[in-house]
Amino acid sequence: MSTETESIVTAEAGSRSVRQAMRQVRRDEGRKVPSSASRRKANRRETVAGYGFLLPWLIGFLGLTVGPMIFSLYLAFTKYNLFTEPEWVGLDNFVRMFTEDPNYIQSVQITLVYVLVGTPIKLAAALGVAMLLNYRDRGSGFFRSSFYAPSLIGASVSVAIVWRAMFSNDGPVDNSLSFFGIDIGGWVGNVQLVIPMMILLAVWQFGAPMVIFLAGLKQIPQELYEAAEVDGAGPWHRFRNVTIPMLSSVIFFNLLLEIINAFQVFASAYIISNGSGGPAGMTNFYTLYLYKRGFADLQMGYASAMAWVLVIAVAIIAFILFKTQRSWVHYAGENR
Amino acid sequence: MTTFEAPRVEVVENALEPTTQPRRRVKRKTVNTIIWFVALLALTAIVLYPLLWLFLSTFKPSSEFASNPGLIPENPTVDNYVKVVEGIAGTPLWRFFANSFFIAIMAVIGTLLSSALAAYAFARIRFRGVGILFAAMIGTLLLPFHVIIIPQYIMFNKLELVDTYWPLILPKFLATEAFFVFLIVQFIRNIPRDMDEAARIDGAGHLRIFFSIILPLIKPALITSAIFTFIWTWNDFLGPLLYVNSPEKYPLPIALRLYNDATSTSDYGATAAVSFLALVPILIFFIVFQRFLVAGVATQGLKG
Amino acid sequence: MFNIRKRRMAAAAAAITASAALVLTGCAGGGGSEEAAATYDPDEEVTLNLAFWGNDVRAALYEEAIAAFNEEYPNITVNSSFLGFPEFWEKRQTEAAGGGLPDVMQFDYSYLRQYSENGLLLDLEPYLGNIIDTEPLSENILSIGVVDGETTGIPTSTNAWGLFTNPKLLEQVGVEEFEGGDWEDYTAWVKEVSDAGAGSLWGGTDFTGRIQNFEIQQRAKGDDLFTEDGEPNFTEEDLAAFWEQGEDARAVTIPQQRLEEIYPVSGFDAGLTTSELTWDNFGAGYLANLGAEYTELGLVAPPVTEEGAQDLYLKPSMLHSIASTTEHPEAAATLVNFLVNSPEAGAIFGTNRGLPASETMLEGAELDPIGQQIRDYEESIAERLGDAPPVPIVGYGTLEEKFRQLGQELGFGTLTVDEAVEQFFNEMDVVLNQ
Repeated sequence: MSTETESIVTAEAGSRSVRQAMRQVRRDEGRKVPSSASRRKANRRETVAGYGFLLPWLIGFLGLTVGPMIFSLYLAFTKYNLFTEPEWVGLDNFVRMFTEDPNYIQSVQITLVYVLVGTPIKLAAALGVAMLLNYRDRGSGFFRSSFYAPSLIGASVSVAIVWRAMFSNDGPVDNSLSFFGIDIGGWVGNVQLVIPMMILLAVWQFGAPMVIFLAGLKQIPQELYEAAEVDGAGPWHRFRNVTIPMLSSVIFFNLLLEIINAFQVFASAYIISNGSGGPAGMTNFYTLYLYKRGFADLQMGYASAMAWVLVIAVAIIAFILFKTQRSWVHYAGENR
Repeated sequence: MTTFEAPRVEVVENALEPTTQPRRRVKRKTVNTIIWFVALLALTAIVLYPLLWLFLSTFKPSSEFASNPGLIPENPTVDNYVKVVEGIAGTPLWRFFANSFFIAIMAVIGTLLSSALAAYAFARIRFRGVGILFAAMIGTLLLPFHVIIIPQYIMFNKLELVDTYWPLILPKFLATEAFFVFLIVQFIRNIPRDMDEAARIDGAGHLRIFFSIILPLIKPALITSAIFTFIWTWNDFLGPLLYVNSPEKYPLPIALRLYNDATSTSDYGATAAVSFLALVPILIFFIVFQRFLVAGVATQGLKG
Repeated sequence: MFNIRKRRMAAAAAAITASAALVLTGCAGGGGSEEAAATYDPDEEVTLNLAFWGNDVRAALYEEAIAAFNEEYPNITVNSSFLGFPEFWEKRQTEAAGGGLPDVMQFDYSYLRQYSENGLLLDLEPYLGNIIDTEPLSENILSIGVVDGETTGIPTSTNAWGLFTNPKLLEQVGVEEFEGGDWEDYTAWVKEVSDAGAGSLWGGTDFTGRIQNFEIQQRAKGDDLFTEDGEPNFTEEDLAAFWEQGEDARAVTIPQQRLEEIYPVSGFDAGLTTSELTWDNFGAGYLANLGAEYTELGLVAPPVTEEGAQDLYLKPSMLHSIASTTEHPEAAATLVNFLVNSPEAGAIFGTNRGLPASETMLEGAELDPIGQQIRDYEESIAERLGDAPPVPIVGYGTLEEKFRQLGQELGFGTLTVDEAVEQFFNEMDVVLNQ
């Protein structure tokens, strides 16, 4: 994006004094050559300000998060049943995971399917609906609330009641599919259809990424579209050349967070299977399995080891995503 | 990276002027709006069907749940609501609502304050260690929370804060939910820097820039965070489960689960009724706040 | 009136025996046992935390019971908290690790060893026979709550393994009640019902999915599943043979997929099967879930493995335990005594927590028809009742669940019997080495 675009945004949003000041900056540009001493002083001031702003987060991070995280990393190399002292076992937990635990392997497989299939569908649905909602503001409040409503119930017991009813034999889904000649019966007890059912549940609750997309769309200056239209750009062109780049920081956020969330899918699997991970382990997603190992079986060392394998796997994915940012994510505030 | 040629300022000014549009265009616009409306209506119907089912099923007697998966109750009754409104073991239902409401409001205040501050630091201040700290923050998102439950519990227990709301609220004021920090970071980074830099030249410090320039511009992100915090806190089950002992302090999700204990009889009817009642406040919260999702931007547009 | 007088006298008697108890515990040589004054001073203001699992109905009963308790002991304030079963245990595990267990807990048999062995539960020995009245509790029942020589739990109620049937559904398909017999007879009877039910009603659920059925078959041979030392007492061949029996059963019982659809209720709850092998205290729940049109259930003894064997046993459906960290052990014991022994508690709870184990509590309880039926049933199987197996090993719950899941996979056909056996033994290795 060029400076002109930014100045539109600025002109729209800034107060008069700010705009005056900005002109001042423009005039000053080139003249300003700060001495190294004053720069060092400024740096120190920045550091103080930075840590000042970060203070609440830092207290929480150091006080509430770091300790437990390190403790769980330690536990990953121990046998720990919550009651007696942890006992160091080296890499045993990791060896067991990959060589002796068929449930773990199954859990990894179904979780990968869930992430790889579910996340793109959910994000596409969220973006599509957000754009539809953004088409006009009048009258979209009702629709917005309707689309968000399924996400309101979160993962309460009633979600399990509803979802199981929807996908049971002769339930609404089965009946509608039968109408089109697809006769597959109930999904709930069908080992092959349980994961698709769980994915559809995640897609149904697409409210969070939808709202974030919507907030991102609201941040795009309308003038860019109008200008593009004047330039003769069609809808696809506008989507490709205005929406996507202007929304890329939000797309990046949703993509990363939805991947992380999908890897950690827990509550919905827990309530749908009533904590069992059934049928035949097909809802025994990674975090549910980890939870059962830790809290039901009291193998907290093993559970911690599982947790850290997940952390490393997702961290690698996140790292790669952050690296790709440069090539496709656009930040209006950092493009110079 | 974009091929799009940025428009010039004059163009924009043009666009802002009231223009008389050709009639054909108006017609096309109406047709588009109708298509838009119908498409959304169809999608809404699909999305809302399960909720409608849930609502109607609150009028089913519990024993009907296993036998009748249909939409319409065979023996409609309001018993479920009557039962639910009575409350549980001497604690009236409104108490659970009030508890949830208190926790959620505090969580919203805490999260907005602390997350926005941290996000500003990450997005706008260049200082030593910012990169590592940012990575650490993202790192906290990756660990399944189950493995840190016990150490955290031990800490709060040592501080004698168990059976108070502090373990639920304090972390919100300390921005422990990296989700919101990161969300706001992304929105701040999308704001052009010219303005805050200009303000700096004017002699404004970070605090003034934060409050008078950045905060108003990230309203959509703040509204989003407020909505999510409220709803997620409202629905949070595990936190209160671990830290709240007295039934009169229980928030709704725990109370809700009490109608459905697998070792005795599962009262599906009451469960559905309570969860439906529990939906109402957050639905209202959403309806109210989603308006600001527009308003925030509209005022922003009007300012120039 | 009389009851209260009797209790006052009992309290007085308890006070008199207090010194004796002190001496006794002193003799037992428990370190620091001198502080354990074995009576509660009724003037002392004490606050106790009480935790139990259950639903709103049970919570209301506990409220009532606490009110009755406070009439007698106005200075003991009882703060109760309750949760559903899984949440209850998740919270307890966290508290056990982090400190802060409630003073008095409703306790589950499968966790008793774990908590006892780690010193989390108070040894009730000093209070037995004084604060906690042992007369109405049979030796058999008291011994259930003993782990490594310490009494850490008092059973509130007992249950036994039984076979529930649904007379109304049986009548609909025109099949007689199960008349007893061995496992093959049972499977044949199930087949008869399933044939008559023609795909909408089945005779039962695959019994090889429940570890208890394996247990009673092993006990018929004279073996508990685990020895006193917690070592497994069965071989891979035993288990394989058991699951292979299931092949016949699986062909005639309700399909696994159907069960999945209605989970967490069982086929029997949903009126889809006419029999279910389970603990006898499930009766009331079944009736409630079946709905108003079903008014009675059949309850008969499980199929016989070996004629004359004592394969069945009484298990506590729940116990009451006290945390070892409690600051008021005497007051806590007083509360436990009230909850397990008093006729008032019997009158209030009825059979909500199972058939009362204590005679005095049972006297106070007004049994509903199903409660009476369970009582009659437990009397009728007296011949088949043997000694209870040792308190379940640490991690028994894990194995029970694993067994259920493997049975389910056998039902789906996603595992062979040999694979299931291997997985079970692997799991057992891990659990035993925990």
